[in-house]
Amino acid sequence: MQRDKFFKEIENLNHPNEKLIKTHCSYCGMQCGMNLRVNIQTNKIIGVEPRYDWPVTVGKMCPKGVTAYQQTNHKDRLLKPLIREDASLKGTTEGFREASWDEAYDLIAKKFTELQTEYGKDTLSVFSGVSMTNEKCYLTGKFARVAMGTRYIDYNGRFCMSSAAGGFLRSFGVDRGSTLPWTDIHETDCLFIAGSNTAECHPTSMFRIWNVQERGGYIIVVDPRETPIARRADLHLDLQPGTDLALANGIVNQLIELGYIDEEFINNHTDGFEETKELVKEFTPEYTSMLTGIAPEKIIRAAELYGKAPNAVVMFARGVEQQHKGVDNVSGYTNMALVTGKIGRPKSGVATFTGQGNGQGGREHGQKSDLLPGYRKITNPQHVKEVCQVWGITPEEMPQPGVSAYEMFELMEEKTIRGLYLLCSNPAVSAPNQNFVRKALKTLDFMVCSDFYLSESAEFADVVLPAVTWSEDEGTVTNIEGRIIKINKAQEPVGESKPDWQIQVELAERLGRGKQFSHLKSARDVADEFRLATKGGNADYYGATWDKIEKQDGVFWPCKDENDQGTPHMFLDKKFYHPDGKAKICALPYRPPAEEPCEKYPLRLTTGRVVYHYLSGNQTRRIPFLHDMCPEPFVEVHPETAAKYNMEHEERVRLFTRRGEAIYKVKITEAIRKDTVFVPYHFGHEDSINLLTIAALDPISRMPEFKACAAQLEKVEMKKVQ
Amino acid sequence: MKKRLYLELENCIGCRSCLAACTQCGGHEERNRNYVYDVNPLVNRQTMPLMCLHCENPACARSCPAQAIQIHETGAVLSALVEKCIGCQNCTIACPYGIPKFDTEQNLMYKCDLCIDRTKDGIPPMCASVCPSNTLQWLTDEEIENKKKQFNLDNGKWVTSMPYLEGETNVKVNLPGILQGITKLY
Ligand code: SF4
Ligand code: SF4
Ligand code: SF4
Ligand code: SF4
Repeated sequence: MQRDKFFKEIENLNHPNEKLIKTHCSYCGMQCGMNLRVNIQTNKIIGVEPRYDWPVTVGKMCPKGVTAYQQTNHKDRLLKPLIREDASLKGTTEGFREASWDEAYDLIAKKFTELQTEYGKDTLSVFSGVSMTNEKCYLTGKFARVAMGTRYIDYNGRFCMSSAAGGFLRSFGVDRGSTLPWTDIHETDCLFIAGSNTAECHPTSMFRIWNVQERGGYIIVVDPRETPIARRADLHLDLQPGTDLALANGIVNQLIELGYIDEEFINNHTDGFEETKELVKEFTPEYTSMLTGIAPEKIIRAAELYGKAPNAVVMFARGVEQQHKGVDNVSGYTNMALVTGKIGRPKSGVATFTGQGNGQGGREHGQKSDLLPGYRKITNPQHVKEVCQVWGITPEEMPQPGVSAYEMFELMEEKTIRGLYLLCSNPAVSAPNQNFVRKALKTLDFMVCSDFYLSESAEFADVVLPAVTWSEDEGTVTNIEGRIIKINKAQEPVGESKPDWQIQVELAERLGRGKQFSHLKSARDVADEFRLATKGGNADYYGATWDKIEKQDGVFWPCKDENDQGTPHMFLDKKFYHPDGKAKICALPYRPPAEEPCEKYPLRLTTGRVVYHYLSGNQTRRIPFLHDMCPEPFVEVHPETAAKYNMEHEERVRLFTRRGEAIYKVKITEAIRKDTVFVPYHFGHEDSINLLTIAALDPISRMPEFKACAAQLEKVEMKKVQ
Repeated sequence: MKKRLYLELENCIGCRSCLAACTQCGGHEERNRNYVYDVNPLVNRQTMPLMCLHCENPACARSCPAQAIQIHETGAVLSALVEKCIGCQNCTIACPYGIPKFDTEQNLMYKCDLCIDRTKDGIPPMCASVCPSNTLQWLTDEEIENKKKQFNLDNGKWVTSMPYLEGETNVKVNLPGILQGITKLY
């Protein structure tokens, strides 16, 4: 299915004594297909071979994917559980000793029980992530509510996809990251891409994106930096960080002014147009230019190119979402598609570039403080009843909603939360305002961390559990398109490491909840219960069996039953998921970033990724090729700004904000605004840019404003650096 | 059907996946054999790969006093034969594009062999398999002809070929600028 012009029948190279295991990359939401090369004598993964038969990425991979296999048998793998008795060593790698699983489990069960006896059920918390299978994400939600019985569970999607989720839920009534399959992207006529450094963060989208231009279509890129995709774009809107909503309103205003709206679509399938029209009146090209720093004629041109296009796709990513108005930015840009009716048909729609491998699936099934499987709400009694039936508990046993990821650290600091089970995430690098977050982690009475390397966050743990990498377990992941795909197991777990679902089953037994967990003996058992738990929800996976996924090259949710082939295109019937079937055009008053530049902090600091690293870098910094290509962070500065501060290329300088400081090498480039500096966020300890970022949260998504705060640069004496 | 490596430099996004992939071809001892350059590092993010062009009459092989550089029947100009290479480095100087790399420890030249283990059986080379931007492609002559037409290249202006190169090459290259001749859809 969906085999397009990029698809070619190619036989793989089969080396003697090897077999190929079909799977997908462990990292970003593209979930590029790949084959892992396994030596059949040692049964170890030894390399990678392109997967030409995967319809989305046809063999292509970025350097992270090419080297991903090197994670599995890496020398840094944790092989046994670790225990540390000396709490004064928290925050360091010191003091750990190896232990048996039994000893580790016993200790965890004892500490958890003691804490809950003394301080109540909700003294424990779970902080999880979405770089793992749906099965694990699902079971983590169940484990927190049923085995630990706590309300406090949340996950790293709050630093990643939660604004997209909030925006889509408000605009469409449903949160599927892309309304259309990626195999449509190259066939559209205009791509409007905001806040996505696509060439570095989702590189394997690029062959489709460039093809739009080769066909004579247009690419519009919104970014404070001239990223590789902005460099070749037909139009680059170089806005000030944190001003997206003004631009979105300005473009919607021009779409209306220039007559590109689709009145029939607006009347029949949307609400809120009149109100929005009224609100955006103020956002003339001149006023929008004043707020965003983009030339007025560029704003008009963008509206023309998008408005005139027979088909167009609005795309965005963390650049617009990681703001304290991220949800408004998402709905604001989505308005462009809704007023022009460029949605609900092939080759037109709205998509966010999902950051983490399972950023889509992982946010749908109950790791979020207020959600249950199938995108059900924990505040909806009917939803709770449905899930309780599958879980074998009574609705009274279901905990209340908790708080968002960052807010959990606040509760740790004030001792409302005293215990933490952390898995699949590295908040000691990735959370904003690190000085505070690290202090909160240190304050905990007891912390368990499950990971396959000793991450910066594991350094705060009392017990570290060795988890497996993606290649040592199986399950499903939901990719950038909303397509459920299958991750396959290529080798047995290294050392004594175990998959997180197994750890949770065994821990649940120790916590006296065996009845609800002991029947889960394999990833497939979890998958079957998981599908059942989603049945009837908005994100319905019930019909997406592993067999169907393999046979169809993935299944797009919703997929309700055996006969349902899934839903590659959303809203083809022009029915949206709000009760009245209409989409919502949102009138969104503009607000500037939470922290605006001032005399003391005159620069705008923005953060992001480089192509060689993934998230906190806990995985990619250990891979030799990726490390060599980008061994340390840097601060990108425009040459005129550098000259003002009398700074040279590669000089080490001090960058600071109201919250923290760090020393970085200057990277001079004209490909950034003069008022903006950029630092990649993949580095830990004193290199972490999140020592400087601000924890201003979006009121709906609780997403911190990673993308804009006020900063200052300063020269340092070389002595000080040493 | 014979296929060739085809480069469209306009597309390069500098991800260096081609370098990473080059180390992954079974016979490559995990060393990469091509280059990716930042064209104008302090100014913009333009990058381009620099690949062996597999010359029809390769200067590297001609310059080799020990006949260590063999030409495969597919036209691929192979890496130096371990038993023949004397480490004189003539080839690194002779190649007009500075392609051959030198391993001082082994006293041995190594270069792109067009992933001969793959391409002899019609499997695309590793770099062209993974390149996310389609800068590197593995195409039939017919497909390359179509590219010429599509990009209005019949004037030869954008395509690197004679007289712009030292000699005819098996690898075909399009310099940046391919979009200039495109008619916009609207
Ligand atoms: S990191 Fe993303 S783009 Fe790169 S290979 Fe993996 S899935 Fe593909
Ligand atoms: S893989 Fe392709 S896009 Fe990436 S650096 Fe190499 S040639 Fe350029
Ligand atoms: S490009 Fe250089 S190394 Fe390659 S065949 Fe020609 S002369 Fe030899
Ligand atoms: S063709 Fe093969 S050997 Fe040559 S650069 Fe590409 S990957 Fe390396």
